[in-house]
Amino acid sequence: MDKTLRELSDEELILEFQKNNTEDAFNILVQRYKNPLTNFVFRFLGDYESCNDVVQETMIKVYRYKDSYSSVAKFSTWIYTIAGNLARTEYRRQRRRNIFSINDYGEEHKTFDLPDESYRPDVATDSGIKDEIIQKALLKVKDTYREAVILRDIQGMSYEEISEILGVNEGTIKSRINRGRAQLQELLKGIYKE
Amino acid sequence: MENDEKKYEDVIKALKGLQEVKAPANFEADLQRRINSEKFPKEAKKSFWQNILLPSRLIPSLGLVAAAMVIFIVVDTNSEELDNPFLIEPRVREDIFVVTDFEEFEAEKEETSKQKSFKEDQPVKKNESVLGKRRDESGLKSSDDRVVTGGEKSNEVGVLMDEKDVPVDQDLDNGVYATEESTIVDSLAAPQPTTTMRASSELLTGQVISKEELNFRQVQLNEEQQKAVDELKIQTQSNDKTGKSRK
Repeated sequence: MDKTLRELSDEELILEFQKNNTEDAFNILVQRYKNPLTNFVFRFLGDYESCNDVVQETMIKVYRYKDSYSSVAKFSTWIYTIAGNLARTEYRRQRRRNIFSINDYGEEHKTFDLPDESYRPDVATDSGIKDEIIQKALLKVKDTYREAVILRDIQGMSYEEISEILGVNEGTIKSRINRGRAQLQELLKGIYKE
Repeated sequence: MENDEKKYEDVIKALKGLQEVKAPANFEADLQRRINSEKFPKEAKKSFWQNILLPSRLIPSLGLVAAAMVIFIVVDTNSEELDNPFLIEPRVREDIFVVTDFEEFEAEKEETSKQKSFKEDQPVKKNESVLGKRRDESGLKSSDDRVVTGGEKSNEVGVLMDEKDVPVDQDLDNGVYATEESTIVDSLAAPQPTTTMRASSELLTGQVISKEELNFRQVQLNEEQQKAVDELKIQTQSNDKTGKSRK
């Protein structure tokens, strides 16, 4: 039974889980997608703990709302859409939390917005310094471009899949990917020189 | 498309060369635990009304309510409401009668005055006969004692009666007076003091009241009235003379 379930495609597994409420089918889907989703969300957020929470939340949503999946779309598209939405929500929440304002009581009364970069547990996950630099550069890219670049160049998805996940047309996706790459190239000039 | 990928070849290579970040080892266990905790919540959530109506939770709120009630009652009873003195109705004096209908009051007053005058007329007439006899007996004829008879006397007495508002129930035939005031009134009606009257007044009061002590109303007569009085004097004198001559 377990062997046959492992041979099933993602769409077949979710249908099995929908119809027969087969927990093993769901567990196989979790095993298949836990690492890709973790990689995607971590590269987007840059925070492993919150990344882990987002991926778990994604899996719980799949478990709870399995009936809302329609067989028309690919399962990977559906689960990445859920993960992307949750990751974006978490990213906005983190940005609100990390950025704080300092009110200057000087003559000019200027307000400074400083990002709080003290909490970075991602150092432990990235072994190489190069990876760390690339990850930091990736986090400096605009989030809409970053999302598309990660899905295309790290996750290896097609433009069609990315447009389905992000809900925008392919042209916009290509444009975003190119702009994201351009920003990254500008940020990673020093690495290439070395 | 291909040109773009060539343009950013280094970037793409760097991104593809990143190590894959894997999920933690206990990922599935944690997920299963979270799913089970959602499936079977530890405590069934109590409804809003159940939370409110729990007696243990009601105790502090009930205590507060009770304290507030006590404070309200105590403060309310101690507070003296000061009445506005301008809004207080005055006490009704029982010794003063209130006239609501003035016309009715006037009619009643006239009626009572008529009754009084009617009552007064009769004793005066009696007085006349009695006084005539007494005059005959005593023969006292003083120039100071002015004899007023008929309507004049009754009118004068009536005026005095009205002023003093004293009921006249005396019986001169018996020669006994009910009160001291009635004695005074009768002495007005019969200005000539008699022995019986003095005796009776002495009996009642224990004091001899002289004519000067009596608070007579001094009537100032005009010339015509004086003439009439003189004529009456003359008539009475002539009557006395004729009476004596008959005897």
